Amino acid sequence: MKQGPTIYQRRIVIGAALCVAAFALVGVRLVDVTLFRRGEATAIAGDGLFARADIVDRNGELLARDLPVVDLYVRPHALYDKDQAALDLSRITGTDYPRLKAAFDHAKSPYVLVARQLTPDIQDKVMHLGLPGLEFEPNIKRYYTNGRAAAQLLGVTDPDGNGQSGLEGGLDVQLRTAPTIPVQISVDMRVQYILANEVEAARKTFRALSAGGVVMDVNTGEILAMVSVPDFDPNWRHLSGDDSDHNIMAADRYELGSVFKVLSFALAMEDHTTTPDEVFPIGNGFRIGKFTIHEAEHMPATYTAREVLAHSSNIGTAQIALRSGGVRQRQFLDSMGVLHILHTELSEFARPLYPAAKNWGTIETATIGFGHGISVAPLSYIAAAAIVVNGGRRVAPTFLKHPADGRGEQVLKPETSLKMRELLRYVVTNGTGRKADIAGYDVGGKTGSAEKPIPNGHGYQAHVLVTSFLGVFPIDDPRYIVFVLLDTPHGTKDTGGIALAGSTAAPLAGRVISRIAPILNVPRRPVVPGHENT
Amino acid sequence: MVRVFNTLCVALMGLAILALYHVSEKTRVANVELTNVNREIAREQASMSVLETEWERVAGPAKIQALAQTNLGLTGAPTVQLSSFDALPRRGEEAPLSDTPIHQASVQVATPRPAQ
Repeated sequence: MKQGPTIYQRRIVIGAALCVAAFALVGVRLVDVTLFRRGEATAIAGDGLFARADIVDRNGELLARDLPVVDLYVRPHALYDKDQAALDLSRITGTDYPRLKAAFDHAKSPYVLVARQLTPDIQDKVMHLGLPGLEFEPNIKRYYTNGRAAAQLLGVTDPDGNGQSGLEGGLDVQLRTAPTIPVQISVDMRVQYILANEVEAARKTFRALSAGGVVMDVNTGEILAMVSVPDFDPNWRHLSGDDSDHNIMAADRYELGSVFKVLSFALAMEDHTTTPDEVFPIGNGFRIGKFTIHEAEHMPATYTAREVLAHSSNIGTAQIALRSGGVRQRQFLDSMGVLHILHTELSEFARPLYPAAKNWGTIETATIGFGHGISVAPLSYIAAAAIVVNGGRRVAPTFLKHPADGRGEQVLKPETSLKMRELLRYVVTNGTGRKADIAGYDVGGKTGSAEKPIPNGHGYQAHVLVTSFLGVFPIDDPRYIVFVLLDTPHGTKDTGGIALAGSTAAPLAGRVISRIAPILNVPRRPVVPGHENT
Repeated sequence: MVRVFNTLCVALMGLAILALYHVSEKTRVANVELTNVNREIAREQASMSVLETEWERVAGPAKIQALAQTNLGLTGAPTVQLSSFDALPRRGEEAPLSDTPIHQASVQVATPRPAQ
């Protein structure tokens, strides 16, 4: 008779089965770890190094990055000579000596913070002091490789790594969500540097309070450069002397003056209320009710519409604007976007100032026609000007790389855009924008010289100007707008004491275009003597 | 037969315990090494990050312009001095630029003096 397995045999079998199961589990885990989770170690190695993503320009050049630094703490009770330690640490880290000495002498907690965000070289110097009781706490510091050149544009973070201004503020969520993926912005650092270099030089030459500039691609809407001076060093968190962290091109609004005539003429060409060759009386003044409109300088008795724009006649432009009427003018400016807040990836923006519909009367229509009585952010105006020259299609300014055509809704007829390009070219060849004419590049543009309003009062300050220049190139098939602005420039010996835009902003724009056009691969027209752009 | 099998099983279990201990120990050592390597990688990445940043700073346009001006005496070239290969004259064609002075708003180039 066959006997079944004994109780011991059953237990052995169960034990063996458990062993097999355990080894099988180990085997499965081994396969899982070695074959399916190979990337984990790499991920661990890179984790925790960065809190914010790098910012790179459109060519991949690094603009902002988190760098490893340390915060230095000291245990005062471990120091033998507190005075000497305070003196040495103050000398190396730049911390205020009296504050450090007081903190060491009257420490309420076991640790005293000496300095934050020390770089490795400073850490080495501190280590060489050989002091006891030093504690280095790992931290990160946001570093901006180009310093002042893109200060307001990139903005800064606070010591805890939160975006505070500029693109750091506007792209804060994106930069923090995926810290290992660089954020590529539309800015070309070469163009940004040239613009910053020229704008700062012009501000010094003309002793302007502030100055700024923008370079924009009129088809994609990408901002290639944006500068505002005075600027500041974003790597040094304190503003010193003349420094300013204010971005005048995005956060300020100006009565831009005659550059606004571009929009008035675009309206007139769109509605066929005039033609470039129609003759307008200019004279010595144009009376509307109790107000009289004057010219900035002496002008002849008549001008064609083309010459009105070229020589920037307020009287001629007022007549052209009045033909459209206030209602249509307001509706047109609304469609061009200048009556709205322009939101971009920057954290700064400015609300435009303009009369309410019920107050938008005849005199307002006339003055807004030549850029007075309405204040807009320069960036908002540039977006409208891009519509005028890019074939009449709306394009939203963006600071993120977006090389594809960004033009959308048709706002103006393409024929209007074509006529405006011809007129803008005429301004540069025969009008107030001559000093922006560049050999080999057909530039179109418009000058603007606006008297500044009296702060908190009525009227304008005589001879206190905001000068600007809207440059477009190449004008036959526009790709870029260069807009520059000088706040309160002064004439120089070279300009004969004249501070108008034709002598200050136009040459500045010309210099910028002459330097950036070859970099941007804009096709260059051969210069033949006797057939220059003049 | 059962006894032999049991003995083999016990021996196998003993070997398995030893092998498991060996693997466990190797894993622990490997884990320590991995931690060290990870720390080293992180340190190297931080150094590379600093070096890349430093390179971007020293190779930035501001530095290059300053060096070009101070050491090479270079200044911004007017656009009339720039050209492209497409604009170069073919053999036998007249060069587009001659000795005629260029009078242009943004730049003026004087007529070169004839060689004495």
